[in-house]
Amino acid sequence: MALAARVAEPEPALAVQRVSRVFRTADGAVPALSDVSVGVAPGAFVSLVGPSGCGKSTLLRLLAGLDVPDDGEVLFEGVPITGPSLSRGMLFQDHRLLPWLSVADNIGLGLHKQGLDAEGRRHRVQELIDLVGLNGFERAYPYQLSGGMSQRAAIARSLAPRPRALLLDEPLGALDSLTRAKMQTELLRIWEHEGITMLLVTHDVEEAVYLSDRVVVMLPRPGRIAATVDIDLPRPRHRGDPGFARIKAEILGWLGADGL
Amino acid sequence: MASFAPRRRFDARGLVIPALIVAGWYVVSESGVGNGYVFVTYDRIWATFAAMVADGTLVASIVGTVLRMAAGFAIGAGFGLLLGLATGLSDLAGRVVSPTFHAVRQIAIFAWMPLLTAWLGIGGQTMIALIALGAFYPMVINVEAGCRNVPGPYLEVGRVLELSRWQTIRRIVLPAAAPAIFAGLELGLATAWLSTIGAEYFIAAGDGLGIILSASRMRGSMDGVIVGIVFIGLVGFAINRLLAVIARRAFAWRGEAAR
Repeated sequence: MALAARVAEPEPALAVQRVSRVFRTADGAVPALSDVSVGVAPGAFVSLVGPSGCGKSTLLRLLAGLDVPDDGEVLFEGVPITGPSLSRGMLFQDHRLLPWLSVADNIGLGLHKQGLDAEGRRHRVQELIDLVGLNGFERAYPYQLSGGMSQRAAIARSLAPRPRALLLDEPLGALDSLTRAKMQTELLRIWEHEGITMLLVTHDVEEAVYLSDRVVVMLPRPGRIAATVDIDLPRPRHRGDPGFARIKAEILGWLGADGL
Repeated sequence: MASFAPRRRFDARGLVIPALIVAGWYVVSESGVGNGYVFVTYDRIWATFAAMVADGTLVASIVGTVLRMAAGFAIGAGFGLLLGLATGLSDLAGRVVSPTFHAVRQIAIFAWMPLLTAWLGIGGQTMIALIALGAFYPMVINVEAGCRNVPGPYLEVGRVLELSRWQTIRRIVLPAAAPAIFAGLELGLATAWLSTIGAEYFIAAGDGLGIILSASRMRGSMDGVIVGIVFIGLVGFAINRLLAVIARRAFAWRGEAAR
């Protein structure tokens, strides 16, 4: 399988250029990212895979504007990222719904800069509830939702302000395998429906191969990119296909886990 | 932190100790074993109670105490809320005010009595000031802690959604702090209640349950003291239940599990 050649691509939607990030702990400096460069083409679905400590979540937080690099540049549509922005949605592993707000109010939380009146907000929230299939749960509180439903609500909340890119930090990591497979299909449907750039952090290689146009393989100590694998399998993909299995094996090989 | 007692099913075993006390008192007072001045009989307590109801003393005392407490609590909790929000939301306010606050709060509330009576006279204003102090300290501490201990992940949600500082306070910080603020109200209510009875007992101006205690004691009437104590317990209990009901409604979002 071909390593991604440095072919001419349109200006990346998300770009990380020669970025380093060191965390200082009581035990000394931990290089979370060391000289990492990644580009994500507009509208692409790219995954970052790697074991714990490889810096994949740190990379995502830099792109979200929740953290700043010690070295290098982080760009969105060619402009340096200086902080969080509604144009870059973020989805966390723990759904982080605010427990004191209903599902509808959680989804509407990021609509304050959309220039909508009350009716417009209500309409937009309803549209998103339809999109993620939470009809009938508009007035429920988060504690009344299952894990999968909570993550659907969180997806709706992150899509509400119409971001041009969505950063996903292992959003399906805490779900059981059946719900997880279903949510993967949902994510693809939403990606196709919204036409936005998606960057997914996951430690599940199969999930990455199933969803992505491209998988970036990362390794720890120091956090770095080991390989970039383009996935040109036609969609919809089937996890049992020989091509699927071959790419999965290749990525596992890069992770040093092919013998597992 | 919040100690809203879970609604437990009634269990008759909880009545064993009160029943023993009531029976013991009966035996001691009727048999003449105990000091008749201290262990007054139920007949005399009942007669005193009936007389206090008949001449309106009891109702006037309950109303006086509740109004006094409400006034002092509102003032103390109100200022406590404001100061706690200021020190909880602003590092600067915290740095300027907190050292003084924590030093001053070491002074026992009733140690303020000589100064307060000098400033405000021996009367209603001093009583209300003492009650307000009782509500003030726990309120400040709990509100400040509530505002400072908002989980970081929720604050990140606010950052990612570009909430302004004010929106973050209104939509995230205050709701997250609400249980702690309510715990401050509950604790403030408890100390304000102690302060109310103490202030009434020592200052004894106007009508109040604590004033029944001091007046009865001076007359050597233990029956009056007992009536006063029983109603102090009943009113305190009623206030606490009221707060628990309010808390249950206000925190529906926490679900059954959190109650």
